[in-house]
Amino acid sequence: MEHEELDQFEQELRQALERRPAPPGLKGRVMERRSARMERRSWFARSFFGSKSAGSAGRAHSLLWMRVAATVLLAAAVGWGLHWRVEKREEQRRGEEARQQVMTALRITGHALNQVHVRLAAHDRGE
Amino acid sequence: MAHDWHPEFEQLVDEHQAMVYSLALRMTGDRGLAEEIAQDVFLELDRRMGQLESAEHSAFWLRRVTMSRATDALRRRRVRGMDLWVELGDGDGVTAEERTSPLGARLEHLMTTLPQAQRAALILRYQEDMMPEEIAAALDVPLATVKSNLQRGLKLLRSKATSHLREFIRGA
Repeated sequence: MEHEELDQFEQELRQALERRPAPPGLKGRVMERRSARMERRSWFARSFFGSKSAGSAGRAHSLLWMRVAATVLLAAAVGWGLHWRVEKREEQRRGEEARQQVMTALRITGHALNQVHVRLAAHDRGE
Repeated sequence: MAHDWHPEFEQLVDEHQAMVYSLALRMTGDRGLAEEIAQDVFLELDRRMGQLESAEHSAFWLRRVTMSRATDALRRRRVRGMDLWVELGDGDGVTAEERTSPLGARLEHLMTTLPQAQRAALILRYQEDMMPEEIAAALDVPLATVKSNLQRGLKLLRSKATSHLREFIRGA
């Protein structure tokens, strides 16, 4: 009985879960997006690598793009290098400053300790 | 590896759009999101056309990727705190009553209340008529997990249906 009920239930579930038709125009929208993507790809390929049919004008155009890209990359690399160097120098300067401060503090402390030592010695001698 | 299967992309979309859309819709419960997922899946299919070796392979791939994308979409929405399951009633110009029986419509709605893993297993089992072994491969989970999800999901759905649909159970 339990098994029969389950079978009937499963049958009903199978019917309830029949595939729904896709919304109208889904295929068209997929094809549109695909065409747009292919267009973008071919534009990119034309822009950066030129095309056989483009001739010398196309090749000059692609060369120009490559030069622009190379210049931008080079400028970014140089900029980053300069920034890194300035940062490094600043870091070194701060380190040196901190070292000087520590040395001054140590000198002052040493001097104070010396003074105490001299006074203690004088006190011991009964002066 | 070379293979002789070279289908037209458009033909594949025609053939599988109902399957992909239905899987996405039943997983997410949101028609807009389901269409978005379906479009993305087909565009991904376009990129992978060269790697698919047969009609069966493409159907398997489509089911697997659709379920994975739908799961990702649900996760993203949960993170954003958005409420899913708008409604799975009328749509696509077909009312629930025209499409299926009132019990069917109710069952479809009750499916939306199941835990995601159980829902995924049941959708593949009863919408796509897949065997547990195939479901395990499509969802990339152990067979024992699929069997357990099918069993628990069906039991939970049955108990929900029994309490919600006493009239039908008595009449059946």
